[in-house]
Amino acid sequence: MRYLKPSSVSEAADVLESSRGMILAGGTDAYVYMAEGFCHPETLIDISSIDTLRGIYVATDDREEEVIRIGACTTIAEIAASQDLPTCLRQGARAVGSPQIRNLGTIGGNVCNASPCGDTLAPLLCLDARFVLRASGGTRVIACEDFFTGPKKTVLKPNEFLEFIELPASSCGKASAFRMIGNRKGQAISQANASVSLVMVDGRMSDLRVAVGSVAPVPLRLGKLEEFLTGKRVKEVSLAMFKEPILEGIRPIDDVRSSASYRQEVTVALVFDALAECASKDSGECEGAGA
Amino acid sequence: MNVIGKRIRKVDGFELVTGRAKFAGDYKFPGMVYGAVKRAGVPAGRITSIDVAAARNTPGVIDVLTAKDIPGPNLIGVLPPYDQPLLAENEIRYAGESVVLIIAETAEIARSAASSVSVSIEPYDPILSVEDALAPDARKIHESGNITLSKKLIKGEVKSAFEKADVIVEGVYETSFQDHAYLEPETVCAVPGRRITLYASCQSPFHIRGHVAANLNMPASSVQVVQAVTGGSFGGKDDVAAEIGSLACIAAQRLNRPVMIAHERKESIIGSNLRHAARIDCKTGALNDGTIIAREITVMLDGGAYASESPFVTMKTLIHAAGPYNIENVEVESTAVFTNKTYCGAFRGFGVPQVTFASESQIDELADKLGMDRLEIRRINGLKAGDANATGQVYQQSVGLQETIEVIAAQPALPDRIDVARYLHGTGYACVAQGISNGAEGIDVTGASVQMSQDGSVLVGIGLTELGQGSRTVWAQIVAEVLGVDIENISVRLVDTDSVHDSGPTVASRSTTVGGMAVQKAANEVKKSLVSMAALMMQTDEENIELRDGYAILKMDDAARIPISSVATAAYWTGFPLMNLAFSKAPEANFDDDTHQGDIYIAYNYGTHRMDVQVDTTTGEVKVLNHFAAHDVGRVINPLGLEGQVEGASLIGFGMAHMERIKYADGIIQNANFADYALPSIKDRIPTKSIAVEDHNPTGPFGAKGAGEPPVAAAAAVFANAISDAVGFRFTRLPITREDILDAIQQRGNHG
Amino acid sequence: MIRFKCNGKAVQLEAEPEARVIDVLRDGLGLTGTKEGCGRGECGACTILLDGKPVNSCLLLAGKIADREITTIEGIASEDGALHPIQEAFLDKGAVQCGFCTPGMVLSTKALLDENETPELEEIEEALSGNLCRCTGYGKIVEAVREAGQRLMHESDQQGDA
Repeated sequence: MRYLKPSSVSEAADVLESSRGMILAGGTDAYVYMAEGFCHPETLIDISSIDTLRGIYVATDDREEEVIRIGACTTIAEIAASQDLPTCLRQGARAVGSPQIRNLGTIGGNVCNASPCGDTLAPLLCLDARFVLRASGGTRVIACEDFFTGPKKTVLKPNEFLEFIELPASSCGKASAFRMIGNRKGQAISQANASVSLVMVDGRMSDLRVAVGSVAPVPLRLGKLEEFLTGKRVKEVSLAMFKEPILEGIRPIDDVRSSASYRQEVTVALVFDALAECASKDSGECEGAGA
Repeated sequence: MNVIGKRIRKVDGFELVTGRAKFAGDYKFPGMVYGAVKRAGVPAGRITSIDVAAARNTPGVIDVLTAKDIPGPNLIGVLPPYDQPLLAENEIRYAGESVVLIIAETAEIARSAASSVSVSIEPYDPILSVEDALAPDARKIHESGNITLSKKLIKGEVKSAFEKADVIVEGVYETSFQDHAYLEPETVCAVPGRRITLYASCQSPFHIRGHVAANLNMPASSVQVVQAVTGGSFGGKDDVAAEIGSLACIAAQRLNRPVMIAHERKESIIGSNLRHAARIDCKTGALNDGTIIAREITVMLDGGAYASESPFVTMKTLIHAAGPYNIENVEVESTAVFTNKTYCGAFRGFGVPQVTFASESQIDELADKLGMDRLEIRRINGLKAGDANATGQVYQQSVGLQETIEVIAAQPALPDRIDVARYLHGTGYACVAQGISNGAEGIDVTGASVQMSQDGSVLVGIGLTELGQGSRTVWAQIVAEVLGVDIENISVRLVDTDSVHDSGPTVASRSTTVGGMAVQKAANEVKKSLVSMAALMMQTDEENIELRDGYAILKMDDAARIPISSVATAAYWTGFPLMNLAFSKAPEANFDDDTHQGDIYIAYNYGTHRMDVQVDTTTGEVKVLNHFAAHDVGRVINPLGLEGQVEGASLIGFGMAHMERIKYADGIIQNANFADYALPSIKDRIPTKSIAVEDHNPTGPFGAKGAGEPPVAAAAAVFANAISDAVGFRFTRLPITREDILDAIQQRGNHG
Repeated sequence: MIRFKCNGKAVQLEAEPEARVIDVLRDGLGLTGTKEGCGRGECGACTILLDGKPVNSCLLLAGKIADREITTIEGIASEDGALHPIQEAFLDKGAVQCGFCTPGMVLSTKALLDENETPELEEIEEALSGNLCRCTGYGKIVEAVREAGQRLMHESDQQGDA
């Protein structure tokens, strides 16, 4: 096995192009896959120490819009602790693995691993995140909702890797929250998770996004529920009213971690709780990058 | 008492907190090589061929062994005739069965070569349930059939008693397989020679020595087993340590190189024993005043592929199924059955958690049916000194059950039961009794040595093992108390079969009680020499001497004192023995084999628990608000250690009751890792408060009784009762998961 | 050749960059206090500090530690053998039973208390949530962390006074 540690993004892209090796960031998932024999890479390309891939800052995206940019190799712990990011993403990051895993694992790794239960996926989806993918020929940008194609499957081509995640600058002005449930309270893998972001206008829910994870092959937006809730006051809605639009949207499976029926039931509760937390705040709570 | 009853920190703790303690995987010898096995991967079948060519050709592979390479009988087990092969030769009886052993320069190479071995197996229809195993035309998993052992306990006459009962409750209760999940996976390291040495993470070194010697075809005295510092066992590191210990020794002798075999976590789950899954049919009859007059219980244990400890677990469930109650008519039948699953054996509690869950659930049901307080019914029926228990045994002392009930009753109630729409609250009670000593499972003898040096320091030797439970500290305290020396001056030997006496297995909560008695006896003999010597030195009678604070002291004049080191030195040169090897033999069990009436254990630990829970009706999540665990331990030797035992055992019981379940699909374990097998994390812990009741036990050192196991059963049962109380629904299967709770709530339309 | 700092000392040794750090420490440096309980980052027994932060050494590849600083359990007690207050507190409070999880627990505790000597209960539980223990039931571990924090605060107060 070859282990390469390129010092820049362009070098990484070139090495990837020529070697078709495996990109390694924090390595917490990659190592387990190798140990379990799921993959046998001939070349590992460790991008975790490329400076430009780390950090959270304000930038201008390809559409000339202001965005919060997150380097793909920013650790999950850094995301969890950042004051510059929306609550749901920080809460999602806090739910990933253990402190030890979060200190090594990266947001890019969590995204590109594309596990349906990845805890940062639903938050990114409900924040309208966009992903900047890098290849030796240049970059392309893809919306979070188009990125995931199945369990552990994404649109990433063998010569591409994730360089940045970008969030609309407005996401910091929104209220957001994340909830998950797992088979234990500490160091748990999500049986289901939910992320909500919204803006309260005159006590009514607006600009609402609801995303759920671990209940379908990819993280899902719950459009029906968003439609149903938009314009309503939180007091007008009850958990029972949620059920139908949620159950229509999700496609959970039975597996070793949970039954499909429990995933269904609990998703309703998680969405409701996340919504309740959002509604309890009147507006955005993060400072905004660089502030 | 100067040392007994004090909060003494672990005497072997320094090495553990500094990382210096040598666990089996920390040994390193020149030329050491590593072993890994190829496992069957299918639950049942017949081996038709084994192709090891690819493995042999793997660079770094040194040797490949199959069943025919085992010099001895290729069998291990607990009770003869042994039934479990080290490497399967023909029959495959469970998916985790070892078939081929690869020895290589590194563990990685050994594992990858093992995965390249191709074992052709003609599969049988696997037998995956007790019902299938007992079907009239069922395939026989072993030649002897599919029943490991079936026994009956008969006291009085249940049939006519049920006719007299005013109220009868009946139910079926089930529990699941549970993994020990000790943090250190099983590991052994064999060093060859004319005499071979095995360093092993294990629970019973002498038992392993016997198996290693037999399978090597060598006399036992040619095998030295040294217990490495062992990272938890809970009953689990016995059969499996014999298995990999024998394999490592055989390979080491063949190659004349040290061999290490270390299980990966997955192997630790699929390839070593589990707690039996159980089905318990239970029927209880009572009079209107709450007196229980009859219990009829049938216990079915799924024991998996090999007998292991199943016969003993069967006996234990038989004796404990009726609970700690004074009931005139009891009939219990316990049966362990073979299936094509991972074999089951000893796990902290040893069958008692399963039957206690059933029994205590039904006591609650009975109370409800009678309209009686749930604690009151336990008070009415609970054993007292002088009562006959289920085996008819009567103890005149140290039956502290009633006191544990009263202590629990006196705990503050939940402040406010605020049943806001979302949360339900509940309180549960459970009582337990657990026999101490081998009892019906075998003769109980322990040898221990106490040896004082001329400087007054002491070396204690005993064949029982420290597994984290703090036994070494307890033994050191006993010696310190008897000899009046500082605990810092007492060391407890490693368990090395060359240097300590066979003390039987470290099981049945017997280390403090039976082991402690032997230690105390040996220490008393050394004390005699010291007192005689001191009396000579002070020119007084022996009864005027006491040993305390590191001195021999003249009782009537505290200032007249001689350092123990001086007394020891003088005793040495005078020829007074400063070492003693003593034996403690528990009174032998004496009972009728058909009815199991008679005297079984030297004592019982009794306990009562209370748990308060809050249930989230939208997710089924549970928060344990209070957990009080009162146990009659005879006498507390070390409160710090006792609390640790009660708290740790309780969380294992809680895991069994709420979180942990080995999941099978077609005979293959699906969750053989710590991500999917959810043992409790620190965020899942419960706020156990241990409360000691001291009802002096004449058969234990300073009146003590063991306490390592009983809280498991009580904590599992009390959780079930608390949740059932909160939800208003009787749960009859463990674990009661969040999903089960949510299901029950929704079916009852209890939320919102 | 990999160079890094281990327990305050500069180290360089031959190791493949794709080797696991736990193996480099145990086999290469003989630091066997770091334990392997699962090999998959699920139990925390192999916890070490990387630049002061707890990580699973079973998931960490050697190529990633170049020029960085590692602390293992062997680097916690002082050189004269005196135990660190965290180690003392673990013993005094009965937080150690079999001891296999202990090195990892002590290191996770150190990382927590280095940041905050008076953590709230929730912070303690969060900090140790990646370290499984099967023996203690965790209650005594929580007590030990609190006690250690108190002792460290007392120590730093005294040093402040001096």
